[in-house]
Amino acid sequence: MDLLEPTHQAFRLLFAGDPELLRIIWLSLWVSVAAIALVAAPSIGLGFLLAKKRFPGQRSVVVLVQALLSFPTVVIGLVLYLLLSRRGPLGSLELLFTPWAIMIGYMVIAFPILVVFTISAVQGADPRVYETARCLGAGPLKASLTTLWEVRFGILAAVVNGFGRAISEVGMAIMVGGNIAGLTRNIPTAIALETTKGDFAQGIALGLVLMVVALGVNVALAALQGEGGLK
Amino acid sequence: MSAPLLELRALRKAFGPRELFGIPRLALEAGGAYVLVGPNGSGKTTLMRILAGLDRDARGRLFFRGEGVDIADYPERLRRSIVYVHQHPYLFHTSLRHNLEYGLKCRRVPDAERARRVEEAIAWAGLQGQVATPPAKLSGGERQRAALARARALQPELLLLDEPTSNLDREGRAQTLALLAQLRDERRAVVVACHDQEVIGLEGFAHLGLEHGGITRQSG
Repeated sequence: MDLLEPTHQAFRLLFAGDPELLRIIWLSLWVSVAAIALVAAPSIGLGFLLAKKRFPGQRSVVVLVQALLSFPTVVIGLVLYLLLSRRGPLGSLELLFTPWAIMIGYMVIAFPILVVFTISAVQGADPRVYETARCLGAGPLKASLTTLWEVRFGILAAVVNGFGRAISEVGMAIMVGGNIAGLTRNIPTAIALETTKGDFAQGIALGLVLMVVALGVNVALAALQGEGGLK
Repeated sequence: MSAPLLELRALRKAFGPRELFGIPRLALEAGGAYVLVGPNGSGKTTLMRILAGLDRDARGRLFFRGEGVDIADYPERLRRSIVYVHQHPYLFHTSLRHNLEYGLKCRRVPDAERARRVEEAIAWAGLQGQVATPPAKLSGGERQRAALARARALQPELLLLDEPTSNLDREGRAQTLALLAQLRDERRAVVVACHDQEVIGLEGFAHLGLEHGGITRQSG
């Protein structure tokens, strides 16, 4: 197979600012960013509580969240589909085959990643952080926020990982989004579709965008971490 | 006669079936300087942590200026009066200035007063040239002095310092000893847990001995 010609075409599409391509890229970006923005605070908060507090059933909750990490995303898509379908319990919201359904799916996929990474970051924090904050007069909430700030590089890594998983998700996005051109077609679902059609140029172009986004986010993370992230 | 600054009564601390110590009464006077000595494992750090409200898993009552509470119910307001500094102090990974401001902001000290206290703390600890240095790049002695200055800037009624000279080189120890002497001269109530003979030998510090599961002597 000739890879050069479709690659040339891919670059031409990108540099020509193909409207269809731009719509797909924009949808992918805003839905992923919005999903992570919405799910980050509650997930990080839960991760902190699970790392720091002892309560009955805590271990079971941690095991459940860890299990969610390894759930096949098509199963998550199936469950969401059943919930959001017209005859499902949330059917009246008419979210199925809209970007909102994909956003909910992204949130479900990113949630355990953010929680588990946060647990790991907070458990790895020096216990003197919280104690020092308390000794200096911080209340429990301020001391908790200070602890999260001290492990901010781990938390940022969680956010980046969650974003990466969301923006590259295919199965769930097709199931609840329907891959509708101009409405719910995003980068990974478009790549899957164009590849099956044999139209590799658009697939390659979108793949390049995904890789640039992944690289950009990780470079930004590394820049933010600076020397602090390497300690 | 006025009540002691802080008094412990019927304090018992155990780890499972093993009792670490039982202290019928311990009184610390306002403006008093104390050295808490005792062999390894006698519970010096644990006692300091109980006084600071970091270890509430002990039985007994604590009286602060005559007002009594159960140790298990350590009140938040006491954290504004008693400040504990770890053996290896933790400095937040921000800046030295932010570290010095942190507790002052928690106490809602007004901006102008906060700036004044921070500048004074920097000068007191001799860290004028290090304000922009990330705490991780400070030497052991500088970190210890920064932690002392951070605690002192809060003007607590009682300072608890856990082994402040441990793991410091000769110069760092000398500088820290000088700061401890200054705290004593400022008539700031301070308890220093240590093994360091130079600290133990500091003039004007009363000695508290913690061994054989109790306070065995209180002198000075």
